[in-house]
Amino acid sequence: MKLPDLISTGWTEIRLHKMRSFLSVFAIAIGVATFFYTLSVLSQRYRDIGRAADIAGKGRIDVKVDYPLSLQQYHMLLNALPKGSSVSLETDAETDTISYKNKKLAGFILIGVLPTFQDSTFVYDIEGRFINWKDIENKHLVAVVTVYPREKDEERVHPLYFSSETADIILLSDFSKRVNLLNQQVMIGTLPFTVVGLLHAPPIEKDYRLPEDREYFLEVYLPYPVWYDISSLWRQDFSTRIRVVTGKDSNVRQAASILVSFLRSQFGAEFKPQLKFFQDTLRRYNREAWHGLKTMIFMGIVAMIAGGIGIMNVTMAIIFSRTKEIGIRRALGASRRDILFQFITEALLLGLCGAILGMAIGYISLLYMAEGTGQMTFSWWVVAASILIALTTSFFFALYPAYQAALLKPVNALKYE
Amino acid sequence: MVIRCEHLVKIYQTADAFRALDDVSLEVKKGEFVSIMGPSGCGKSTLLNILGLLDEPTNGEYFLNGAPTAHMKDSKRSQARWKNIGFIFQSFNLMPHLSVLENIALPMRYSNLPHKEILPRARELAIRIGLGDKLTNTPLQLSGGQCQRVACARALANRPNLILADEPTGNLDSKASTDILTLLQELNREGITIVMVTHDPQIAQGTHRTIYMKDGKIL
Ligand SMILES: Nc1ncnc2c1ncn2[C@@H]1O[C@H](COP(=O)(O)OP(=O)(O)O)[C@@H](O)[C@H]1O
Ligand SMILES: [Mg+2]
Repeated sequence: MKLPDLISTGWTEIRLHKMRSFLSVFAIAIGVATFFYTLSVLSQRYRDIGRAADIAGKGRIDVKVDYPLSLQQYHMLLNALPKGSSVSLETDAETDTISYKNKKLAGFILIGVLPTFQDSTFVYDIEGRFINWKDIENKHLVAVVTVYPREKDEERVHPLYFSSETADIILLSDFSKRVNLLNQQVMIGTLPFTVVGLLHAPPIEKDYRLPEDREYFLEVYLPYPVWYDISSLWRQDFSTRIRVVTGKDSNVRQAASILVSFLRSQFGAEFKPQLKFFQDTLRRYNREAWHGLKTMIFMGIVAMIAGGIGIMNVTMAIIFSRTKEIGIRRALGASRRDILFQFITEALLLGLCGAILGMAIGYISLLYMAEGTGQMTFSWWVVAASILIALTTSFFFALYPAYQAALLKPVNALKYE
Repeated sequence: MVIRCEHLVKIYQTADAFRALDDVSLEVKKGEFVSIMGPSGCGKSTLLNILGLLDEPTNGEYFLNGAPTAHMKDSKRSQARWKNIGFIFQSFNLMPHLSVLENIALPMRYSNLPHKEILPRARELAIRIGLGDKLTNTPLQLSGGQCQRVACARALANRPNLILADEPTGNLDSKASTDILTLLQELNREGITIVMVTHDPQIAQGTHRTIYMKDGKIL
């Protein structure tokens, strides 16, 4: 029998036994819905982790040391590392206030960085410019301020409202949304700084950094050496975060040992730096994503088995109620293979209906669940996997009964009433 | 020789190992119309099922169109069924949910006939047996005589050279019975070999030769 005939025969039978077919389709659908939902969420999480890895760059190592590094030390380290590596130094965070005209702005942290800060996990749109090497070498008094996107209802507030602001201290996050600080003079401590750049942060749903790479305070960036100059006035202990990005996954271990021996040569042989490999972080995230969904997958498997047993039951019932029909078909020339294929086709059609219904249910629950997070993904591989799972289940559970049907002897089947 | 049987034995694996066929030898030539008569339970259907490759003898040889059938694989036997043999049953054995047209087309679904030629041929056959106006009816909407005519058309679907009919008139009134006999005689004149089991001596009269059976033997 040819495929179109197999399909139309199968379809006719399904229509003739609507209730029975519906029940097994429904069981399959529940399983598929669970899989579809779980795989969609999983694929979304893996995609997020992949994006985080992309913006982090390959071969990233982070380490914190309890000493500031000089520019000379920076160059020593960079030259020792594999070619193509980038080294970024980041000071501690310091809280302070900025004076702008006669306003005091607060609610931010001051961090000293190098221009290489932009080489990894940098998600901002720059208005103006970022800190450059001239600023570092000449200790220019420049600052770069992060600006968060306006929230919708705030946009309607008239700017005049803020010019008549009388409060003593205004949050920088609020203020910078309304007043463009670019190229303005601000006072940090007693020194006048020029705001040379604004960093526009992406909206939260477009921020692809890992949660631990996001900053939770508004940041104002200064040239790395300048930060020490203004902070040394009131503190003695300093630490620095060193970030190395080699650009390749293959030479991370090599870079790590270079980094460790460099740090020991500078800060003593007993120094035990705690290196943090971004690869490990990603691996941890991947594992967590998978662990969180293991139970769901398990439930999906249970539901699929229930669906499969439904299909098996239907196919068994079909064979009992259609023994006579099998006999007639055999008499008219159907081979064992024809009978086998006919019942398997029927089961696959049920499975396909189950897959479609299941994906519809899964999709609706995704939409429903995504309302909170604003995130929704739909991946074609999940659709393909869901259909495949449904068809495979139907196939394997229909195999035994269909095989039994194929084994029936034509005479015996014909005599059956 | 369309059919040649040598010493066919069929033993059913019941408690008493029942011999339904006991040393049956039979030859049917091309173009013959043979009827088989005998009391109920004498093994007529058993013989016909073996001739139709629906069942296998316990012992003995059966040659269909000169070829031995003993060691044929299922696919070959199935192919021989749609290619060479047309069945007509006492209880019609039509598919209750399929239309007249689809019922007639069914054996062609298992043949190698190109897909688009199937329904035109089925329609032709329906017209030939006088049911051209009932193509979309299901068997439940037809009389017994009409059902058996559909079964005849279905038996002709793949142009077999042998028709096996097991009491084709057993469920029909005399008028319908004569109609079926007339149809079978007509087919026979066109060259199809026919073996028919019947209880009706008048129907048997319409055939070339009658074989009598008793207790699994040919008399
Ligand atoms: N599958 C079977 N198992 C056991 N006995 C059977 C089977 N089929 C038929 N018989 C017996 O074989 C004998 C011949 O049956 P059958 O060929 O159908 O007779 P008939 O001549 O009426 O068509 C009967 O006595 C019947 O009871
Ligand atoms: Mg009989």
